[in-house]
Amino acid sequence: MLKRIVIVGGGSAGWLTAGLIAAEHRAAAPDGIRITLIESPDVPPIGVGEGTWPSMRDTLRRIGVSESDFFRECDASFKQGSRFNRWRGGDLGDDQDAYFHPFSLPQGYGDVNLPEQWLAQHPHIPFADLVSYQPHLCVQGRAPKQVMTPEYAAVANYGYHLDAGKFGVFLRKHCLEKLGVHYVPDHVTAVNAHENGDIASLQTVKHGAVEGDLFIDCTGMQSLLLGQHYGVPLISQKHVLYNDSALAVQIPYPAEDYPIASQTSATAQSAGWIWDIGLPTRRGVGHVYASGYISDDQAEAELRAYIVQTGGPQDIPQPRKLSFSPGYREQFWHRNCVAIGLSAGFIEPLEASALAIVEMSAAMVSDDLPATREAMDIVAKRFNETFRYRWERVIDFLKLHYVLSQRRDTAYWRDNTAEVPERLAELLTLWRHRAPSRSDFNRIEEVFPAASYQYILYGMGFRSDFSRAPKPQEAAQSDAFFQEAATLTKKMLHGLPDNRTLINHIKLHGLQKI
Amino acid sequence: MPTPVLLNNIDHKDLRIITRRGAAYGDQLMAVATFPAEFRDVQACYPIVFHKTTDGLGFEPLVLFGFQDGENLFLQGERWDAPYVPMMVERQPFLIGVNGSELMVNVDLDHPRVSRTEGEEVFKPHGGTTDYLDRTNSLLFAIHNGMQDLPGFLHALLEHELLESFTLDVELNDGSQNRLLGFYTINEDRLQALSGEAIAKLHQAGYLQSIYMVIASLSNFRMLIDRKNASLA
Repeated sequence: MLKRIVIVGGGSAGWLTAGLIAAEHRAAAPDGIRITLIESPDVPPIGVGEGTWPSMRDTLRRIGVSESDFFRECDASFKQGSRFNRWRGGDLGDDQDAYFHPFSLPQGYGDVNLPEQWLAQHPHIPFADLVSYQPHLCVQGRAPKQVMTPEYAAVANYGYHLDAGKFGVFLRKHCLEKLGVHYVPDHVTAVNAHENGDIASLQTVKHGAVEGDLFIDCTGMQSLLLGQHYGVPLISQKHVLYNDSALAVQIPYPAEDYPIASQTSATAQSAGWIWDIGLPTRRGVGHVYASGYISDDQAEAELRAYIVQTGGPQDIPQPRKLSFSPGYREQFWHRNCVAIGLSAGFIEPLEASALAIVEMSAAMVSDDLPATREAMDIVAKRFNETFRYRWERVIDFLKLHYVLSQRRDTAYWRDNTAEVPERLAELLTLWRHRAPSRSDFNRIEEVFPAASYQYILYGMGFRSDFSRAPKPQEAAQSDAFFQEAATLTKKMLHGLPDNRTLINHIKLHGLQKI
Repeated sequence: MPTPVLLNNIDHKDLRIITRRGAAYGDQLMAVATFPAEFRDVQACYPIVFHKTTDGLGFEPLVLFGFQDGENLFLQGERWDAPYVPMMVERQPFLIGVNGSELMVNVDLDHPRVSRTEGEEVFKPHGGTTDYLDRTNSLLFAIHNGMQDLPGFLHALLEHELLESFTLDVELNDGSQNRLLGFYTINEDRLQALSGEAIAKLHQAGYLQSIYMVIASLSNFRMLIDRKNASLA
C-alpha cells in the first residue's frame, strides 16, 4: 500500500503539492499518508511566478488556509486578468494598441455566438470591453469584491499576484503546523534504487536515507529525480516560443498609497515582452526575451526605458538574470517518481500558467493517488497523457499571442508570425469563418477555455468572416447580453472599492469566513 | 443621512412628535435592527435574520417586515398590524448620543415625525419633560443597554460557526418567483453538534435562549408570505 510520499524541493511547487495532498489524505492522522518534504537549506527558491489564475482560490481553500492570512503574509493583491500592450502593431498608435484577457467569461458565453453579433453590430468596440464588465473594472483599478464578500468568494472572478518567496514560507508554516507534513532540511546526495528501478530512498547528509513509496520531484529546473536520475529528456519548444531569458527587478511605488493595478500588464518589446505586476508594497517588473534575437544589455536598456516610461525610478537595483530552456519533459511520471513544477517543464510566464499547472498536477496526484504500486503505473500513464495534452495546449495558446501580430519591426516578430505550429494553423483556418468554440477544446478540464481564445484572437485584431452563417435570431439575444455586461459594469463600478482600500481592510480586519 | 442634534428645552421647546404610524412618517421599512434583549417580543411577530454590516466588520440582527427595499407588510395605512412594534421603529426620531461616558438624547430634526403643530409635546410649557419624553428616554436607554450585549452574542455565534447564509425562494400566488438573498440565520445542524461544554457556556452567557428565539422566529416567514400574497390580491 502507498503510505509514504517524499517531496524533494520547497518553493511554491513543493509546498503547494505537500499542502494539497496532506490536507486531503489526512497526513496529520496516525493512519494517514506520511508526507515528508526535503528542502536544501541553502538553495534559494527561484522566486518568480508571481501571478496566479482564479484556480488558486480553490487550491488555497482546499489546503485549508485563510485568505485573510494569505493576503497579510504573502504581500498578495488581486489579479483580474491580463492586459496586452503593443502586441498588435500595424497602424495602431501605442495608446490604442492594448486589449484585455479578463478572467471572467463573456456574459452569455455558451448561450449565443457573441463574436458574430459583436462584429455585426459593434465592430468598433473592443470585444472584451463589450462582452465583459471586467476590463472596465481593471481600467478603474477596482477590486473584484467588497469588504462584506466572504473569503475566496468573488463579485468579479479573480486570481492573485503574490510574493513567491513569502508564499513558500506561508505554505510551509501551514504544512508543518497544521497539516502534519514532516520536514527534512537537508541536501539530497544520492538516489537509492530498488532492483526494479523504482526509487527506494533518497540519501541525505544529516538525516540518512529517507524512504518512500512515491517521490515527487519539485527540485526546479535541475529536475534532480526525473531529469538527472531517470534521464527523462526535455522536449524543447524553443522553435515555437523563442523566449529563453528574463531580467527581473522589484521597484518601489512613487508613494505608499499609490494605486495597485488589477491586472498583469504585458507590454511587447523588440524581442520579447515586459511583465508588470503590482503588489501592495512594490511592483515586480521583468523583461522576458529571446537571447537569439537581442543581447542582455539591450534587453536591460528596454527594461529600464519601460520603467521610466511607466513612472518608475531612473535608478533601479541590478536586475536579476534568469535563463531557461522552454519545454517540457517527455514524461512527467516515471516509475514511482512524478515531477511537478519547473522540474516538469517551463515556458515563458505569458498567461502565468506555471503555478496553474502546478495546481493541476498536485490536484491530479492527490485525487488519483494510487493505492498500490500496481495502480501507480496506470495512474502514471493517464497523468502523462493528460499533462502532455495540457502542455501542448498551453504552447498553442501562448503562440496564438504572437502569430497574429502585425509587427514586422524586428526579426523576432517577423519569425514569430511566419511560423505557425500545425494544430494552431488548422484552428486559425477554422476560425476564419467561425468563432473558437467548445468543440475545439472538448476535454472536460481544458487548460484554457474557448473564451480565452476568443479574447486573444479578437483582441489581436483577427476578424472572422461570419457572413456565410448569419443567425439573425441571435441578434436580440446577444443585445441582451451586451446590455447585461454594461449594466453589471455600472453596478460594479458603483459598488466595488479600489484594490488598495480593500487590501488595507483585509490586513486590518480580515475577510469574513461566511 | 440624518443630522441629529442634542435635544434641549430651549431650541426645541415647541417640538412635537407625530406618533401615528404611516408611510409618510418613515415607516415604509423592509427591516430594522434589533438585539437579543428584544428577541422575545420580536419573535412572536416577525422573522429575525442577520445581515452583514456594510463596513465588512460583522453582522447585525434584523427584524424583517418585507421582502424588498421599502416594503413593510405590517403597515396598513395608519395602522401597524402587529401587537408589538420594534424599539428601533418606536424610537424615531430620537436616538442616543454618547458624550464621554454620558448618554444624551439626540433628535433628527429632518425626520418626517418632527412637527411644531401636531403630535406629542416633548417639553412642558416651562421646560419640564413630558411623560412622552420620559417614555422615550427609557426606550432609548433600553436600546442602548440591549446593544451592549450584541457584540458578545455575535462573537459567540461566529466563534462556533453558527451563522450560515440562506436563500429563500418564494413562489407567490400570482406565479412570480421571488428570491430573498444576502441574509444569514442559525445553522441548526452545527448547533446540534456542539459539545455539552460549548452549550453550557452559551447558556451561562445567556445566549442560548436568544439563539432559540431566532430559530423560532423563522416560522413567521410563512405569515410574511401570506401577507405578501394578500397585498397582491
